Amino acid sequence: MKLDKLSVGGLGCLVVLVLFALGGLAGLGGDPDAIVGPRLQPPGPGWWLGTDNLGRSVLPRVMEGVGTTLLLSSIAVLLTAALSATFGIIAGYRGGYLNELVMRLVEVLYSFPAIVLAILVAAVLGPGQLAALASIVLVTIPLMTRLVRAAAVAVSQRDYVTSAVISGARLPRVLGRHVLPNVAGTIAVQGTYALSVGIAVEGGLSFLGFGVQPPQASLGVLIQQGGTYMIAAPWLILGPGVVLVVAILAINVVGDGLRDRLEPRETRSLT
Amino acid sequence: MSLLSVRNLVIDYAKTRALDGADLELAQGETVGLVGESGSGKSTLGSAVGRLLPRSALRTEGEVVLAGEPVFDLPPGRLRHLRKRHLGFVFQDPIASLNPTMRVGAQLRLVLGRGGDVGFHLGRVRLDDARVTRAYPHQLSGGMAQRVAIAMAMATSPELLVADEPTAALDSQVREEVSDMVFSLAAEAGTSILWLSHDLPAVARRCDRVAVMYGGRVVENGPAREVLGNPVHPYTAALAGASPAAAAHGTRLEPVPGRPPVLTGPAPGCAFAPRCPFAVERCEHERPEPVRVRDQHVLCHRAEELADQRVPEVTA
Repeated sequence: MKLDKLSVGGLGCLVVLVLFALGGLAGLGGDPDAIVGPRLQPPGPGWWLGTDNLGRSVLPRVMEGVGTTLLLSSIAVLLTAALSATFGIIAGYRGGYLNELVMRLVEVLYSFPAIVLAILVAAVLGPGQLAALASIVLVTIPLMTRLVRAAAVAVSQRDYVTSAVISGARLPRVLGRHVLPNVAGTIAVQGTYALSVGIAVEGGLSFLGFGVQPPQASLGVLIQQGGTYMIAAPWLILGPGVVLVVAILAINVVGDGLRDRLEPRETRSLT
Repeated sequence: MSLLSVRNLVIDYAKTRALDGADLELAQGETVGLVGESGSGKSTLGSAVGRLLPRSALRTEGEVVLAGEPVFDLPPGRLRHLRKRHLGFVFQDPIASLNPTMRVGAQLRLVLGRGGDVGFHLGRVRLDDARVTRAYPHQLSGGMAQRVAIAMAMATSPELLVADEPTAALDSQVREEVSDMVFSLAAEAGTSILWLSHDLPAVARRCDRVAVMYGGRVVENGPAREVLGNPVHPYTAALAGASPAAAAHGTRLEPVPGRPPVLTGPAPGCAFAPRCPFAVERCEHERPEPVRVRDQHVLCHRAEELADQRVPEVTA
């Protein structure tokens, strides 16, 4: 599968970010919780991205933060994809009251602004990683379900689905072998967009203190802590801020490339 | 006993009526051509045979009996078995009737089940199996894809094959070949064919019987040669008169004036009345009942009179 140059660049950025996070896990940047020097030091030897308000080196903390954020968002998006695929395909294929039920529920979720919904979830579940995870799932599920359903409606009317039904295929086979593979492109494209939304939601929620809890680092936590010292120690917010922007941008670029590749506008003539 | 029996079938979509009391009988091993213009309801009738209508379609009246089973009143499990054992479909667009995400061999295997011989079934439609088996549908030509679709539909030797203009999207070169293939495979397996088309002469050449649809009803139904050569219903006569193949060199083709109706409810009288040169007042208000003229069943109030005075005059 060929992607355009921009998407390949985006993909490259993502690989670098993942390696960066893995490096943190391997302890390449040092211990994220260890106090290594004076407080609020600008970048220098021993602390390549400076030190924070407790004297911890920022580099390993950003490494840990990227890892936490990416892992959390990815798990959440996988959950979203699984749920959206299930509900979207069933609703799109069966139609009727089931479709109405799924769509109305999804629309209720859709009507909440993302961060308000996230705060609501955090208030119910209590702040923490689980709240961040659940928030991302609930924020990303409506759009993906709607789009998967729309794709499934179109696919369900194709002749090969009818053929399968005539040949006596049971529902799981019709949905699993014929509908799902043909809406997989939509799921993949929406998955990348959901991932970038997930990263933003985690950032926002942790920034507000409802998501990942210190001392564990995530991009949101780091930005929140760095924000306090923005004038005195701008490097605190610069590192995680840049990483956040790069991650979201890269994911969206990859998503655009995937969309162009997997959902070409159908201009093919009938014969 | 007939294999398929459609009785007074009325199918409504939200605002339009697709079938307005259609009747059709099909005997075991018989090949029937179902002919009509776009919008005459032939595709709806074809889909109704397998209860494959879209969700928005509503069966208002009538019934479809296939192999002794009332298709519209079966529970899901029995319906699944009925389709599996008795039905095959071939569609118009060959590429769209294959799943684009699966290799041809895998799709065929899915239909055949364990122990199915993919090579044998592809061989029956004269396809070189090794290459085709590994191909994705988009790598096939229209003719090849349609042959794969035919192999899939005929793999289970169904008792009834519904073919919805399977050659309309093909090159004229492969058209004949594909039609031949369907009819010879069906004859071998003892499969009945319901062949939907808007090409009356082409259908009449191959099928035992021809049923002509207009305005959601079967208006004339009889032996192919009779329907084409001695049509009774004015619409059939007009269709036969508008066919380029049948016209003698130098004669004018006579188009059927006017447009086909779009029904929103039951037609008050004969749906063809506004376009019919023989229409009398009665045709507008009274729904015609089937009458038997010679070997044909005809829906026309004046069928007997018209049959006596040689219908091709319609075109005059």
